[in-house]
Amino acid sequence: MVRAVQQIFIIFVLILLLAALPKIVSVDPMEGGLEWNFGSLHEIYGDFIMEISHGSLGSYQLGRQTRPIAEDIGDNFLTSLQIVLTGVISAVFISLLFGVFISRFRPTKIFGMMFNILAAIPDFIIIVMSMILAVKVYKVTGIRVISLRPDGGALNTWFPTMLVAIAPTLYLFKLVSVKYYQTSGEDYIKTAVAKGMGLSYINFQHVYKNIEPFIKAELVKVISLAIGNLFIIEYIMNVSGITKFVFQSHEVQPIAIGLFAMLLISLIVYVSIRLLFYLFKRGFIYE
Amino acid sequence: MFQLGFYSICLNGVLFMNRLLKVNYLLYIGTFLVTVLLFFCIFGPMIAPHSLTSTLETQYTNGKVLAPPMEPFETDSYPLGTDKWGYDLMSMILNGLRYTVFIAAAVTAIKMLFGTIIGLYIGTWKKTPGWMIAFENAWSYVPLFLILYFFLSPISFNSSLETSTLIGYFIIIASVISIPSIVSSVRLKTAELYQSVYIDAGRVLGAGKHRLIWKHIFPQLKESFLVMFILEIVYVIALMGQLALMNIFIGGTIMRYDPVIYLSVTKELAGLVGQARGNIYGSTHILLVPLIVLLFTTASFSLLANGLKNRFHSNYQRTPWIKTGHEPQVIPARKQYGAKGSFWTLSTPKIALGALVIAFAGAGIYVTATKDADIGVKSGSQAEYTLNLEMDANGIFSAEADIQLKNKSDEEWEELVFYFIPNVFKEGHQFESVKGTSESEINEVTLNGQKAEYTLEDDTLTIPVSKGMADRAKHKVNIKYGFTVPEKGSRFSKVSPNHYLAQWYPMAAVYQNGKWNKEPYKEGLETFHTGFSDFKISYKLPNGYSFVSTAEKDPEAEKNEGAVKAERVRDFFIAVMKDMDMYETEAEDGVKIRLFTRNNHDKDPAASLELARKALSFYQENIGGYPHNQLDIVLDEGQFMEYPGIVTINPYIGDKRFYDISIVHEIAHQYFYGVVANDPYHQAWVDEGMTEFATSMYYYAGENQPEPQAFGISRYRMEAIEEEGLGRQYSNVPLDEVKHTGFIYGQPTLEIYKMIQEKYRQKGETPKEVGMQYLSDYYQKFRYKEVDTQEFIRFTKDYFSVPTGYFNNWLDTSNKASS
Repeated sequence: MVRAVQQIFIIFVLILLLAALPKIVSVDPMEGGLEWNFGSLHEIYGDFIMEISHGSLGSYQLGRQTRPIAEDIGDNFLTSLQIVLTGVISAVFISLLFGVFISRFRPTKIFGMMFNILAAIPDFIIIVMSMILAVKVYKVTGIRVISLRPDGGALNTWFPTMLVAIAPTLYLFKLVSVKYYQTSGEDYIKTAVAKGMGLSYINFQHVYKNIEPFIKAELVKVISLAIGNLFIIEYIMNVSGITKFVFQSHEVQPIAIGLFAMLLISLIVYVSIRLLFYLFKRGFIYE
Repeated sequence: MFQLGFYSICLNGVLFMNRLLKVNYLLYIGTFLVTVLLFFCIFGPMIAPHSLTSTLETQYTNGKVLAPPMEPFETDSYPLGTDKWGYDLMSMILNGLRYTVFIAAAVTAIKMLFGTIIGLYIGTWKKTPGWMIAFENAWSYVPLFLILYFFLSPISFNSSLETSTLIGYFIIIASVISIPSIVSSVRLKTAELYQSVYIDAGRVLGAGKHRLIWKHIFPQLKESFLVMFILEIVYVIALMGQLALMNIFIGGTIMRYDPVIYLSVTKELAGLVGQARGNIYGSTHILLVPLIVLLFTTASFSLLANGLKNRFHSNYQRTPWIKTGHEPQVIPARKQYGAKGSFWTLSTPKIALGALVIAFAGAGIYVTATKDADIGVKSGSQAEYTLNLEMDANGIFSAEADIQLKNKSDEEWEELVFYFIPNVFKEGHQFESVKGTSESEINEVTLNGQKAEYTLEDDTLTIPVSKGMADRAKHKVNIKYGFTVPEKGSRFSKVSPNHYLAQWYPMAAVYQNGKWNKEPYKEGLETFHTGFSDFKISYKLPNGYSFVSTAEKDPEAEKNEGAVKAERVRDFFIAVMKDMDMYETEAEDGVKIRLFTRNNHDKDPAASLELARKALSFYQENIGGYPHNQLDIVLDEGQFMEYPGIVTINPYIGDKRFYDISIVHEIAHQYFYGVVANDPYHQAWVDEGMTEFATSMYYYAGENQPEPQAFGISRYRMEAIEEEGLGRQYSNVPLDEVKHTGFIYGQPTLEIYKMIQEKYRQKGETPKEVGMQYLSDYYQKFRYKEVDTQEFIRFTKDYFSVPTGYFNNWLDTSNKASS
């Protein structure tokens, strides 16, 4: 409990600091050095807490008009949440499936190789490459794979979702396959094999149970990977998600709210996946 | 029996195939690619075919229009194409690659160093403090690039900070913010190991904390640290890429408005990708080319890391009991305990590694050695002279020249061509400036040890090369000849009792563009084009004469027999003098200035010497090193003329101002003639224009004269042209077409000065400062190279970012003029 409070406090301070960075750091044009403007920091914290305690999220600039954040954030939040949630859940599903359960079959090896190759490529290169590819596909076949219009609907979200899923999938797949390989040398596996248990059975009852803790431990990192890519993808593909508040404004308030929304998304995704794991265990694994 | 043998061959074959399949290809390919990558990081800018500021200008050649953006592989000079503005993509990549790789490596090194040390020590604590875990968790929620984004976005755009400062900030911040994640992973691994039994054993035996960490835990982890290090490099590059997509480029973003575009200052690869992000719809190559190179970069590191991982995996991993589909196929390399430690035993990987190192070094040396080779105009010949000169009491010279002529061109020579200038002043010559006549006679010519035929027509000495010798890379010519010097001649002149020997030996012409570049002798400006050569001279003079020359160290006065030498000079001038007063002083870097004069004129030798000292010191400080140890100034009747290390000035003219300017002018020639060569017949303006500009700049920047006065002589020349109604002419025309020397001297000076006045703000504060810097950079770039109009334009337009058309006013910029 104490740790949770500590964690929340640290995150709160950190995010507000982050949101305030553009206000704090500036270049001194005369001397050409950095200027740190810490004086305004307590004001920024004060204003933010005041605003929240009034029950309002504050306002942001959209073009020339000033709009309250609370009115606009709902849709954007849901879009982003949907993208990340779908992305991370499919990442966990795919990596477990290909990494453990069906990894011993020959056709799966092709997937494994593909994942390994893709894993060597930084995410942002994959993102840019796939955008070029999507444009090329449209040019050649006339099939519209992506839409860069914010009001593109499903066309606007499925491609970003896929891209968001890529990084966590690759990361988890690598982790899972290494752990699977390591686990497979353990003595309890030997015992299970000696007892004549089937491979699938061993995978479920022995291997999965021992791999799950590693996945849980890395879950935060996986989600943060997805969120990191979400920012970039939303930014360059014109998805109206929470990034809009972070990148399109220069005020502290919308940036902070955007970042907190991002945190909330991570939390929701984290809890949902833990829940899924729990259900999976209850349903399939003997405790 | 036969069958058995056959089977064993098959078996061997299968085993061999198996071995082949189990080679750790990832590791080898990765090592190779990373080496290649490092090579381009170090030597990239030297290999880059174009500079970062030069653009492809739209042009029409061979019925094809070349216009940016060029696609890759379309022309040879832009192998990877250009961007929308005509900048060469390959040059940008070769320049930017080192930033990408070295910045990533620096960040990784810092964070790994601190992260591992902190992690190792914290991992041995009994209990990790709760706040630390809370901080680690909180920290891992926030994507790192966001932190960098918020930090860098206020300072990166059109920043007034230095590029290096911005890079420094990035390196520091990026490493600091990623330390927590490294600490956390190292801490966990350490804590796990720390509970092992062998650690307990160590502790019981009395090992301290540091010993446990560095002798028991670190060796267990060092291999995974190595893999982690390489993977983290990729991760930092990815971070840079993410930032680049948000238009934050490491080293600064140049933001241009109307339309809004973002440009990378350093041309770092991720920045190149970022700035080309708009190109996903069209001209995709501008985006794809840097992206692919970046991909190659990261893939190389990933391959290396995976290769290492495979090796460690196979070495330490226990064999799995079930089929997992993840088994590495690599043969484990077991450590052979107790095996004789013989480092020098040969094995395939060692040989391969050795070959790689040698190839790296070899290619590096090659690139460094040839990086200047494509600067300047090519010359296909190189001469070396050994000359012997004897003078008798009647002023009759006999000489023997041993000339070694190297063929550096691809063609075979059918003949050798020399300037033999003493021959043109024979009785009946038409030169107004030459009062007397000379006699000259070639006694014998041998070519490669065989007596050779030759033809001598005016100043052209042609020696045909017989068929059997045409393919030689080096020709040895020996010429025995004799001559006298014409009274009051032009350069090659006798002013009794002094003899001035200019162009007194057979001077090899320069072989260029498949032919000997030899033009007939004319009165007035120099018509002879020579390359840089080494000279060895031995001489014998009658008693009482002194030998003053181009040589690095002239003999003492009145020493009438001896030998001297000079290296890398374009001409060898000798003044054989009697009864001259000598004045001496010293300029910067210990360069001696000697002035030889008689006292029958109205110019003050001490003042002239002081002027020479000031001018030379000014050039030494502002342009670059003077190429010789001493400068001789001979005041006597005749031409104002420069030779390497020695100049002649006529003090018997009335115009004191012209006399002074000439001293400065001839000294400036030591730089722009003596070291930066040019063809004086076809490109006379290159040295004369630069020299006059440097002279005026001495008065303008060195003496602080007002500009109209400092550039007065050039103005005067142009006015004279106007008065004579000569109209206009390009400066780069051959001597036989020049209407007035003002086009050679004055026009370039005024045009270069005009350009500097218009453009100096790009480079510095004042026209004076920028003018001198320009001269200095020009000099440094073309030291011991030959410059023509094209080279001048290429350098200058790059320097001041102007298009070729900028020079149309005074230079013929069409291709025909230069070829």
